[in-house]
Amino acid sequence: MLGSRKLFRLQHKYAPYLFVAPFAVVFLVFGLYPLAKSLVLSFYTTSGPRSRVFVGLGNFAFLFSDPDFLKAVWNTTVFALFSVFLQLPLSLGLALLLNRRRLWGRNFFRLVFFSPRLVGMVFVAVLFVVIFQPQFGLLNRVLHAIAGLDLDTKWLGNRTLVMPALVLTSLWMYVGFNMIYFLAALQGVDKELYDAAEVDGANAFQKFRHVTLPGIKPVAVFVIVLSTIGSFQLFELPFLMLGNSGGPENAGLTIVMYLYQNGFETGDLGYASAIGWTLALGVLVISLIQMRITGAWKRGD
Amino acid sequence: MEREACPSDAGERTREAMAGLRARVRDFSDFFPFGLAPLLILLVALVATAWLLFHPVSSKKADLRFWTFADVHARAYQNAAPAFEKKHGVDVDVQLVHGVAVTSRLRAAFWADLDVPDLVEVEISSAGTFFRGPVEDFGFTDWTPWLKQTGLYDRIVKTRFAPYTSHGRIFGLPHDVHPVMLAYRRDLFEKLGIDPAKLTTWDAFIREGRRVTVPQKRYMIQLSDTSGWSMEPFLFQRDGGYFDADGTLTMDSPTALATLKWYVPLVAGPQRIGNDIGGRDIFTRAVEKGYFLSFICPDWRSKVAETHVASMHGKMALMPLPAFEPGGRRTSTWGGTMLGITRKCANRELAYGLARHLYLNPEDLAERFRDLNILPPLKDAWKLPAFNEPRAYWSAQRIGKLYAELADDVPPQYTSPFILLAKNKMSEVVSACAIYYNAHGDDGFDAYARARLKDAADYVRTQMRRNPF
Repeated sequence: MLGSRKLFRLQHKYAPYLFVAPFAVVFLVFGLYPLAKSLVLSFYTTSGPRSRVFVGLGNFAFLFSDPDFLKAVWNTTVFALFSVFLQLPLSLGLALLLNRRRLWGRNFFRLVFFSPRLVGMVFVAVLFVVIFQPQFGLLNRVLHAIAGLDLDTKWLGNRTLVMPALVLTSLWMYVGFNMIYFLAALQGVDKELYDAAEVDGANAFQKFRHVTLPGIKPVAVFVIVLSTIGSFQLFELPFLMLGNSGGPENAGLTIVMYLYQNGFETGDLGYASAIGWTLALGVLVISLIQMRITGAWKRGD
Repeated sequence: MEREACPSDAGERTREAMAGLRARVRDFSDFFPFGLAPLLILLVALVATAWLLFHPVSSKKADLRFWTFADVHARAYQNAAPAFEKKHGVDVDVQLVHGVAVTSRLRAAFWADLDVPDLVEVEISSAGTFFRGPVEDFGFTDWTPWLKQTGLYDRIVKTRFAPYTSHGRIFGLPHDVHPVMLAYRRDLFEKLGIDPAKLTTWDAFIREGRRVTVPQKRYMIQLSDTSGWSMEPFLFQRDGGYFDADGTLTMDSPTALATLKWYVPLVAGPQRIGNDIGGRDIFTRAVEKGYFLSFICPDWRSKVAETHVASMHGKMALMPLPAFEPGGRRTSTWGGTMLGITRKCANRELAYGLARHLYLNPEDLAERFRDLNILPPLKDAWKLPAFNEPRAYWSAQRIGKLYAELADDVPPQYTSPFILLAKNKMSEVVSACAIYYNAHGDDGFDAYARARLKDAADYVRTQMRRNPF
């Protein structure tokens, strides 16, 4: 029989592993193993998991000459650019506005702008499909009344309007959500810095430029990186609004949709894996560049 | 008489009890030094594990599990199943799985060899995608021997086997024929002076369409300028298609090009007669308001109209499609469903029995036609009275008879594992050509359409060449 001191030593040594084990097992089985398996699969052409033929780097080579993949990369990049350069400034602007102490109904508006996030992606997609409908849709009716727009305008059926429609929908959903991050960051900026700037004669823009922005920088970098990664993983919204085909002339096809098409419609898990790994590496590189540009690694940040 | 407890005594006792508890916890923490929370987690995990060990999930399953993606099918089969269960003393589980989910879930089930149903209905567009890889790896069993042996092969409309045939073997029992007619607003046709009896050719139809179409207000026919789906019936009507019987891609054949060049001016340019603005409620309102005067109407869609455009009761009518040349084919096909028996099915004889009960019993099929308007591929059934009844919604037309008369002329739809890709590419071509035609009209349209169709077909061929199976 083990002595109590020996038992204590054993417990002290192994118990942490025991507690970490559930996560470790789940991560190994459902995280690491699929990752490793997909890396292996990316060097094969497959028909389901059982039938496969080794093609080496063939999938990756084809990927970069595949017009559908390149189209998906273009669409996703455009969406990501809109996310970073339109959505985030709007979120910041809204946060600045709703951070004012004297604004009437401030908490109410905070809730209102955040609430689209509460209803979920499927609801938003269905709602906007109805809003964008030709002839009877709300948007066309309004634009027809105020600007004489053609009632038959097909927001989701016209290759030039599909991306604006997706961006508009995502703005509605995410502007308020990202606003919360910025709002939290703004409330953490030291008020004395504003007082000092005011004493130094700084105007509103100068205070924003030299006090607010540096103050919210860590959060801003976080939001930019997260928005970019989220944008490159875009799937549900176009899938629900346009169907799995990607809309007219693939104008709404995203990289993950293309991955889904190849993996789960065509059944070529090998090519889908190659798309997945290319996406992962691409997002990693873009995130590193963003963090470098924004100086996220500088000492003190 | 007991002495009443004095408050100071009670406080003393509580303090002592707490001190004792603390001492016991201290002793225990020597034995388990990670705190109370980890201990609780460990206890919960142990209790949960013990519970699962002693209460395993019941492994009892139905003798036959049947997946379908159409709620109307599910209802009909759930009503029909008890008679089969009673006769054979078995348990049949009919499950409704969403249309999009059924293909991905079935594919995942085949791949993982888990949770595979015994029988499953698959929509015609996706059916071909299950015929990828070595034929021995297909998830479905071959119906051919059973169909030939029972003589059913000759009693079913032959062309309906085409979409479910691969490597010369039939992997799906057709659920339907889906002949196509033209549904029209009879009241508005009369008001506008259109005589459907004279619309025997598409040329005549287009002439009348141009006369009555008012852009943004009224269109002769519902046709899409962004999707290939509404061009398909015309392609099939002309004996074209995406693939031939050998699986060779034919989406850029001369027939396909001619159909594309004929179709695009119907949905683009100043003389367009067709438009499409969406499905479901929008379609309902468009028909009600007379925005569409007519629409392509396979048998299943006639029920959609009855259900979703119920207010048009007695104002609608059906006519055969106009032909491309005088005396030519007056129908086409759109949509379809197959029934597959999976390789995992343990009792195939029972599965064949259920298929016969649900798909091949003329009396049941007749009853189901009254509910769903879907013409079954079993020709014997068409003689039954249900297929010859006048329908008030359709201006008292005998729609069963009308569809049945066209059924033998329904063209085949051949398939391939790349059928979805080909369909998506055709949609891209239609969309691009419509945009071009809106901007340039006939100027250079022939060369543009030819080039776009060839590019799309070449892309599909490239993907097909990459498939080593």
